[in-house]
Amino acid sequence: MSRLYDTVEPAVIDEEMLKKAVEEQGPKEEAGKIAKQEGIDFGDVLSLRLDFLNILKIDNLWEFTKLTKLQLDNNIIEKIEGLESLVNLVWLDLSFNNIEVIDNLDSLTKLEDLTLYSNRISTIENMDSLLNLHVLSLGRNQLTDLENLRYLRRFKNLKTLNLSDNPFCKQDEYKQYVIAFLSNLEFLDYRLVDQQSRDAAIEKYQVSRDEMLHNEKQAEIKKEDETKRQQELEKHKNAYVELMNGPDLFEQMYAEDKEGQKLNEMPEKFMQICTQIFDFGIAEHEKREEEVKSFWECVEEAKQDNKRLGMVHIDEFTETKKRMLLEMSQMSDHKMVEQYARDYNDKIQVLWDKLMGLELQLVDQLEEVIKEFERNMQDMVGTFVENVQALLSQCRDLENNHHEKMMEIAIVTLEKVIKNELDDEISDDLKMLLVDKDTIINAVSSSHDVHLLKIDNKEDDIVTRINQSLKNLIEQIHQDEEITRNRMRVSEINNLIDHLREEMDNLEVMQN
Amino acid sequence: MDSSEMNEGEIHQIDSDDVIKEEDETENEEGEDLTEDAEALKAELAKIVVHPPSYEQSLMEEFDQAEFSPSYKDNLPKENLVLQYAENFRRQMVQLYRDRKPLFLNPVNECGVEKFVCTTIRPTLLEFKELYNWDGAAEFVADYLNIEPLKPEYELPKRLISPSTVLKRQKGNCFEYSTLLCSLLIGAGYDAYVISGYATKETCLADESRDICPLLKKKEEVQEEARKKEMKKYNVKPPRDLRSKFELKQEAKKEAEKQAEKEKQRKEEEERIAELEKPPPDPYFGLRIHAWVLVLSGKREVPENFFIEPFTGLSHPMDSSNYLGIESVWNNVNYWVNMQDCSEGVKGLSFDLGDSTVWEFMFPNNDKPLLKIPDAEDDLNDMDDDEDDEEHEVEKYLDMPPSWVDALKLSHRDFQMRCPHGKKTKVYKRAKLEKFAHYLMKDGLISRLSVYEDRELTDLMKVHEYYAHRSDKLTQKLTNHRTGQVCENFDPGRPRCLKEHQFKSSTPGPENERVMIFYHEARVDGLVKREETQTEMTEEYSNRDDFLFYKYVEFGKRAKKFGPQETSSANKGRPINKMIQKFHRNRNKPANEDIAEIIFHVAEDKIHISYHTEDVRIAASTREFLKPPNWDEKGAVLTFNPEMHQTFQVDPMLPMNKQVELYEMLMELLKAEEKCRNEVRDSQNEVRNILDDRTKEEAASELDISVYDTERNEKAKKHRRELERQQLEEKMRKQEMDIDYLAPFLAKIGNPEKLSKQQAFSLKEECLADLKQRLIDKANLIQARFEKESQELEKKQAWYQQNQVSMGKEDEEEYLTYCKEAIFRIHILDLRLTRHKEQAPHKYMQLEQKLRNDERLSEFF
Repeated sequence: MSRLYDTVEPAVIDEEMLKKAVEEQGPKEEAGKIAKQEGIDFGDVLSLRLDFLNILKIDNLWEFTKLTKLQLDNNIIEKIEGLESLVNLVWLDLSFNNIEVIDNLDSLTKLEDLTLYSNRISTIENMDSLLNLHVLSLGRNQLTDLENLRYLRRFKNLKTLNLSDNPFCKQDEYKQYVIAFLSNLEFLDYRLVDQQSRDAAIEKYQVSRDEMLHNEKQAEIKKEDETKRQQELEKHKNAYVELMNGPDLFEQMYAEDKEGQKLNEMPEKFMQICTQIFDFGIAEHEKREEEVKSFWECVEEAKQDNKRLGMVHIDEFTETKKRMLLEMSQMSDHKMVEQYARDYNDKIQVLWDKLMGLELQLVDQLEEVIKEFERNMQDMVGTFVENVQALLSQCRDLENNHHEKMMEIAIVTLEKVIKNELDDEISDDLKMLLVDKDTIINAVSSSHDVHLLKIDNKEDDIVTRINQSLKNLIEQIHQDEEITRNRMRVSEINNLIDHLREEMDNLEVMQN
Repeated sequence: MDSSEMNEGEIHQIDSDDVIKEEDETENEEGEDLTEDAEALKAELAKIVVHPPSYEQSLMEEFDQAEFSPSYKDNLPKENLVLQYAENFRRQMVQLYRDRKPLFLNPVNECGVEKFVCTTIRPTLLEFKELYNWDGAAEFVADYLNIEPLKPEYELPKRLISPSTVLKRQKGNCFEYSTLLCSLLIGAGYDAYVISGYATKETCLADESRDICPLLKKKEEVQEEARKKEMKKYNVKPPRDLRSKFELKQEAKKEAEKQAEKEKQRKEEEERIAELEKPPPDPYFGLRIHAWVLVLSGKREVPENFFIEPFTGLSHPMDSSNYLGIESVWNNVNYWVNMQDCSEGVKGLSFDLGDSTVWEFMFPNNDKPLLKIPDAEDDLNDMDDDEDDEEHEVEKYLDMPPSWVDALKLSHRDFQMRCPHGKKTKVYKRAKLEKFAHYLMKDGLISRLSVYEDRELTDLMKVHEYYAHRSDKLTQKLTNHRTGQVCENFDPGRPRCLKEHQFKSSTPGPENERVMIFYHEARVDGLVKREETQTEMTEEYSNRDDFLFYKYVEFGKRAKKFGPQETSSANKGRPINKMIQKFHRNRNKPANEDIAEIIFHVAEDKIHISYHTEDVRIAASTREFLKPPNWDEKGAVLTFNPEMHQTFQVDPMLPMNKQVELYEMLMELLKAEEKCRNEVRDSQNEVRNILDDRTKEEAASELDISVYDTERNEKAKKHRRELERQQLEEKMRKQEMDIDYLAPFLAKIGNPEKLSKQQAFSLKEECLADLKQRLIDKANLIQARFEKESQELEKKQAWYQQNQVSMGKEDEEEYLTYCKEAIFRIHILDLRLTRHKEQAPHKYMQLEQKLRNDERLSEFF
């Protein structure tokens, strides 16, 4: 593969080149012969070397989905591209190319070893998803900014780093800076980082390093909190009572009711009911989870038992088969052999009967259990819905009460306004409402309607969601446990029996 | 306290009443008011009672009186008082209960002095941790002493030897055993008592030949409670039972009948055997006197009362049938007489020693909780003032005097020897147990249990031997003489981590039936067990990274070779016919690629693979390869064609493997087969090595000695002696250092007591002059030698120059070496002279200083 001419003739990765490379690097000797006859699937290739080929553009590699090691060094590649489908890549060598920007590596999450030695890279960037990185070589590039190295802090596993021959290496503090800010490094520029120099470097950059660490920690904590909150919300959502443990429903009620807002404040009672619904929802959810868990456990157990029985039958049969085959192979009498063969076929039939019987039994058992489970779940959901409805109707009552009072106050206030007896200063907005009776009554009752609507919506939401999810669950159980499982098992049994029969036939043919 | 006084008073009253009725005795018979004459008389009389004429007067062992301390030979006044009191108590008891057997109160000790039994108990806590618990102490006493049966067996012994002497002579009767054990137990904080009573013949003679050996008793199997299957809500219903109910019932009935029949037969058989094994009737049944130990609950966290049989060291429950009655119990503070009926044996006896209706105590300072006496009687007591005063006086005198026995001492060596002479043999029902002290036997044997088929101990069944301190870590050896099986157990720490080895004693060599169990945690290959028969070998593994857990090898017959026998052929393994490897499921691989079992049909050139079963399936995929015809040729290119491979895939939808993959798989398998074969050979070699080691170890069994065992550790001993010797030498040298310079000069003037000034001066002068002379002499001597050497060298040089021409090479070399040495010597002498010159004035000064400070001369300077 030596370069014959100094002139660089750009090439592209094409089928021919790939085929050649694969064949050359594939299995050797006898295996290679066999492989050649059969042809090698690009999809099966694990490692590929495409070096010194004057490749200008990475292309046509989408077939190599299993590839773990790819060497593209000593080419004239200018841009990283066409690697998106190689998600299993662990080892990527792009050294001695003309790459200017690190890019398009986001899908290579399994990457551990990345070499970009001798390129034209001026910034370290776009590598956020390569969290498994162990070895990174960025030597002989155009890196000038030491600050940019902080980007590498996100790689917790990074142990080996090569940055030699970059412009910033000429700076005196380069080495200490790297060691101080990437203190997990074990090797830097081909050398072991010893504890002493690490301590010295850390000491030198103590202040800025501490600050950085502190910031990182803060960010981490924040992130953790966020994820925790998300999880919590997710859990509540699963219990269909999300946001009920706060004033959310109430706020929602008033969110679209600008007039009401002016007239109201947060009632304690309402909150209490909301919390009640919330607690109840969580408890019910846990109960349901428990129920589902125990259901699955039992189903799993039943399946295991059944499997064990089936395996015992098969093992028994295998033993008999072995014995019979041995006896048959020692027999010379043709008739006896035939007799044996018939016996054998009978035995296969018996095995089939047994296995099928077991399967049918399991189907029966599961069907019954699933029915029972369905019934229980429906009951539970029913109670939950009923309770939620009862609690929400309490809310509605509260709202009604509130509305009546509001109406009274409104009328009284209106009268006062009319009589000009109102002492307190009232806002202009309110004044606008307090012009005549119809306006105020309309305002109050529309506010009331909005509130009731919100409560109704909430109720509908909870009820439909829970019913829907129950339905999905039950359907899925029917589909997976009854239909798919059964079909698979039956086909498995038939396959096995066919195989056994075929074996026998082959034997007979051979003997004849 | 009230009740005790009351009680005591009652007895006294009754006593005195009786006395009055009998009219023989005077009033001053009562306790403490005796006159001296009466005292003497009483003592006389008591002696007469204590020694009734016996027709079988056994000769008492005589003791050298000199070796006992005075407390053995004499009684303190307080002891005398207690003796009198005891005697009085005895007499009252005799008065009240005429048909009662005599009590064991005041036997004589080894010096022929009467001692009260309570004072013979000497509570002691020895420094051995084994003696801190009752079972250890009881076992020790049982082991340490030899039994002297009582003679005659229905009479109380006349003498009770102190526990200290018993420890020394290592034998004793049941009373001495119990006293010693009680001393140890009370010392360790137990609430223990000596019991004097009656027991069966077997117990009295420590005849255990009807008991099953405690070592043979099957340990109560801790049955793991079968985890109750939780009744879950959704448990599937079991399949319907389609069998006829009626038939099942009939079947069950029949089965039950059969069971009952069997049970009956078994019971009959058992009864018959029990009948056969019953001891012959004993003419002295119920009369045989015995002493044993009672431990009451309460102290040292003892949950309930129990007896300890001192002869065997075993505990017995409170209703033991071995004990037939109790006469009295005592510890180091008090003495109680049993007032309960013992016609039913000891069953149902109350051991509430504070209950004075069932236990008559001797001393009022009873620390047991007493039953409250009703007030009415208290009043009655108050009315009787005289009595009361007397009681108070009694109380004042009667606390138990301290034990007269010397402190019990036991040397470390004696404790380790355990049994007298380090050996003891016990006979049990169909078994014999021999015990040996540690390090006593050359091969480290500490006990041997022989089990016999019959009661006469003639038909040996199996022998269980226990070892300790062996350097080959052998701990147990079980030889079954019936089947010829030998099972050896080892402690961890052997090379190759052997734990257990079972084999036939007739065929100890390799390639025979044997089972080896290993400490698999310590082995790199995780081998747990290796089982061999003549043609097979099975190995079990655990916790291996490659999930291998089972390996089976079937060997063929060795091909017989004709012609001269090669020596190496014996070591060459047998041909392998078949190898099976089984693996656990590796969850990181899909089940279809995770091999569960590989069978190498070596003889048929076939390899069979079964894979694991997927979780949702019941059948497993299989694969079979025929090996290429030239597979065992070295360097040959192995060919492959599709006919060499057969497979069954459980999931028909899975894509078939490619030929290349199959080829590579086959190559891997061939490698694996080679590896497996090598491992088998290694295993065989290992077995051979282990067996060789074992033979060597058996031939010369060495005992390990702990570095902390100062007595036995020869090396440590040597080291210590060496240290001692060095110390001694150091001391000697120090003494030498303090040589008296003046001695010869003092001797010259006749060692006067006191020196005059003149004498002192002259002495000093002389001494210094002498040193001066000696220093000069030494310098001269060095100079003389120096000159001599130089002269000799010169001579030699001259001689060399003369004869140089005619000299051979060797001579020349000899000359050169001589010259070198001579020059070296001269140089040294030169150095010495210089140093001497330097040091001589210092030495002179030193001596002068010393003389100046010498106390004999100092007064003059």
